[in-house]
Amino acid sequence: MAKVGVYVCHCGSNIAGVIDVAAVRDFAETLPDVVVARKDLFMCSDSGQEMVKQDIRDGLVDRVVVAACTPRTHEPIFRAAIEKAGLNKYLFEMANIRDQDSWVHAHDHEGATEKAKKIVASAVAKARNLEPLEDKFVPVTDAALVIGGGIGGISAALELANMGHKTYLVEKRPSIGGVMAQLDKTFPTNDCSACILTPMMVEAYNHPNIETLTYSEVDDVSGYIGNFTVKIRQKQTYVDWSRCTGCGDCASKCPSKTPDEFNMGLSDRRAAYIMFPQAVPKKAVVDIEHCLHCAGREIGTLPKINEKTGRPILAPCERACPAEAINRSVAYDPAGAIKEVEVGSIIVATGYQVMDKGWFKEMAPDSPNVITALQLERIISATGPTEGKLLRPSDKEKPHTITFVSCMGSRDEHFHTYCSRFCCMYMIKQARLIKEKYPDITINMHFIDVRSAGKGYDEYYTGARKMGINIFKGKVGGLEMLPDDRLRVLAYDMEAATGIEYESDLVVLATAVELPQDATALAQKLGLQFCGSNFFRELHPKLGPVETATEGLFLAGCCQGPKDIPDTVAQAKGAAAAAAVPLAQGKVRIEPIISEVHAETCSGCGICIPLCPYHAISITTYADRPRAQIEMSACKGCGVCTSACPSGAIVLHGYDESQIFAQIEALTA
Amino acid sequence: MRIIQDKINEAVSTIMAYGGHGIRNCVQCGACSAVCPGVRAGFPLLCRNLIRHLLNGELEEIIEDASSWGCQACNRCTEVCPQGVRPQEVVFAFRRYQANQLAFSTSSVTSQMNLFETGHAVYTDPTEARKKVGLPEKTPTSAFDDQAKQEIQTLINNSPMGELGLF
Repeated sequence: MAKVGVYVCHCGSNIAGVIDVAAVRDFAETLPDVVVARKDLFMCSDSGQEMVKQDIRDGLVDRVVVAACTPRTHEPIFRAAIEKAGLNKYLFEMANIRDQDSWVHAHDHEGATEKAKKIVASAVAKARNLEPLEDKFVPVTDAALVIGGGIGGISAALELANMGHKTYLVEKRPSIGGVMAQLDKTFPTNDCSACILTPMMVEAYNHPNIETLTYSEVDDVSGYIGNFTVKIRQKQTYVDWSRCTGCGDCASKCPSKTPDEFNMGLSDRRAAYIMFPQAVPKKAVVDIEHCLHCAGREIGTLPKINEKTGRPILAPCERACPAEAINRSVAYDPAGAIKEVEVGSIIVATGYQVMDKGWFKEMAPDSPNVITALQLERIISATGPTEGKLLRPSDKEKPHTITFVSCMGSRDEHFHTYCSRFCCMYMIKQARLIKEKYPDITINMHFIDVRSAGKGYDEYYTGARKMGINIFKGKVGGLEMLPDDRLRVLAYDMEAATGIEYESDLVVLATAVELPQDATALAQKLGLQFCGSNFFRELHPKLGPVETATEGLFLAGCCQGPKDIPDTVAQAKGAAAAAAVPLAQGKVRIEPIISEVHAETCSGCGICIPLCPYHAISITTYADRPRAQIEMSACKGCGVCTSACPSGAIVLHGYDESQIFAQIEALTA
Repeated sequence: MRIIQDKINEAVSTIMAYGGHGIRNCVQCGACSAVCPGVRAGFPLLCRNLIRHLLNGELEEIIEDASSWGCQACNRCTEVCPQGVRPQEVVFAFRRYQANQLAFSTSSVTSQMNLFETGHAVYTDPTEARKKVGLPEKTPTSAFDDQAKQEIQTLINNSPMGELGLF
């Protein structure tokens, strides 16, 4: 006979404000096998836990039911408590009378109290049938994978590597650096972005514990915390990187032009190119999609021979390369190569993109002098298309009036309802940098309101006002193209309650931050979920900001939500610390609430195998017969196989048939 | 100005009842006013500023203001509004409130009378202009169709407009 103790929590007024806790306690006492029922203001408090522990130590109870909040946050606390008192921690059941009752039925006190009684009765019915279970442990691969080589990924990788863990840093572009490498200077201190980023890029690339894989993408992920197997596709560069010295001669000779992604399309790059001057690694790639195959030099074919000289006719890139790193006769595989790595934890730091101006039809997107803020960043950067000279795109003339427009696509129900968080600050930064260099330029900034929450940020904003930058409250409604490539700005001064109309030479749009489209494919490979704002969802918005619903999988930077560089670095270091936990422990605990096949009852029909979402089931031979077998470490305890098995041969520990039927009976009594 | 919650509630529910359902979505960004031709022409209480006064509960204080009749119904405000306020609907709701309180602008009475007499809110005699370009002098509309005019007048007289005592 089980001796069940029931403990009903007030949860302050969260539960007791709606449910008659005393009545639920009284009712619990009448349930079969319940030997004691108590209540407390906060069961999770020290005194609450002590009450349970004392009853166990006194030999009064050997099964514990806590009727309180959610097992998601509090089950581990109570399990630990009863384990300390000497009871198997799986002889515990939680009745969620808060999230599933008092919170959702706040206006029906009587009904909520009746429902609480049912929930408690069901938990007690299950508790009577609970069996002790034991935790299992599996060893961990002491290595980590960081996906994304921007400032978030680099920070996380360095942190893990400095803790002594082997780290793979995967970046899809030819160089690490991310968006930060494209920036001119950074707020609120105006340090040069490249000056603070490049040393970190070099440090990461040369770190003995970091293996940097650029021009690479994650192809497939399998496994579980502690034991992930990751297939990384190293895209085909068509350049022998072991020979390439990064001199750039191939790029200077390549005749094929295509818009330069690094300069946000404001200039052209060649098909053979080095991503940017400070690229790490500084290696060339041939973008085969835009390659002209000069001199008929298709990849993997032998060159034609010049009849006069008897020498092979090579493509300009091949001829230009002094290191013999480009040889188009090699039959390169266009799919690249697959590298398989084993890691214990994974950090996703894939970053963001900004919306294209083409979305905003009222903002004259066809005008070359309407640009996004990231394009302006390239224009004012010394490594940009104008080598840092402020020239407007249409005629390469210096603008006299510049307009900044905030909230393009952010805080807008047609696009993204969220605030992109760092646009106000980078616009102010850009305005300040321009005003400092060219005091004669008129700068008009239009905000709904200025959001400058951060250390030193508001001072940076008020400083902009002191510098003579004109700041208006009121969203710009539209732009009109004028014949001479100027723009008429239709704006509004909210404080004076009057319309504003003027002509501008250059208009900068702060377009919204969003996930790039290829994030969806990555999410499917990794099992990541999306939040309402369509960023990757963290485990808990407050208490689990770097964890995800998948154990061993962590988030850092803008892929989790818009954030500036300081916040990204902070989160990346946090994610690294969390990702290092399983690596440092050397083993991970596998909850025993998983399924098991009774080989004697199994008919070997194999129905369960394709149903398992975790590919945990295989066929093995047992007494000369085929039998299903479940890989303990891969099973997540979802129960699909258990319910599908026609022979009833699979048991889900912690949710076995007797327990579930007892619960149903109690609920329908 | 004092903040009186009852007055705010009354103003908001009045505007909502007259069709300005989105008024509470407004975050006062001002994009509507940036593109509003009425604001440009100098009408002080349109779009953003009208909504602000209504959200302050100043329904009675602004009832005599003629700005709402300056709305050209171009609906650009609705196109640029990032929050789904539909500012033009708010302006029209305020107009309906004004009309029901007999707080007509003189500028609006002319168009009401035009509508009653010709079936057109904006009406000028087209005869000369049409003759000049070789069109038939009379338009095929209510302006030259006594039966249509009569039907329109019957409709107006039997609508809430008829109770206003203008005609």
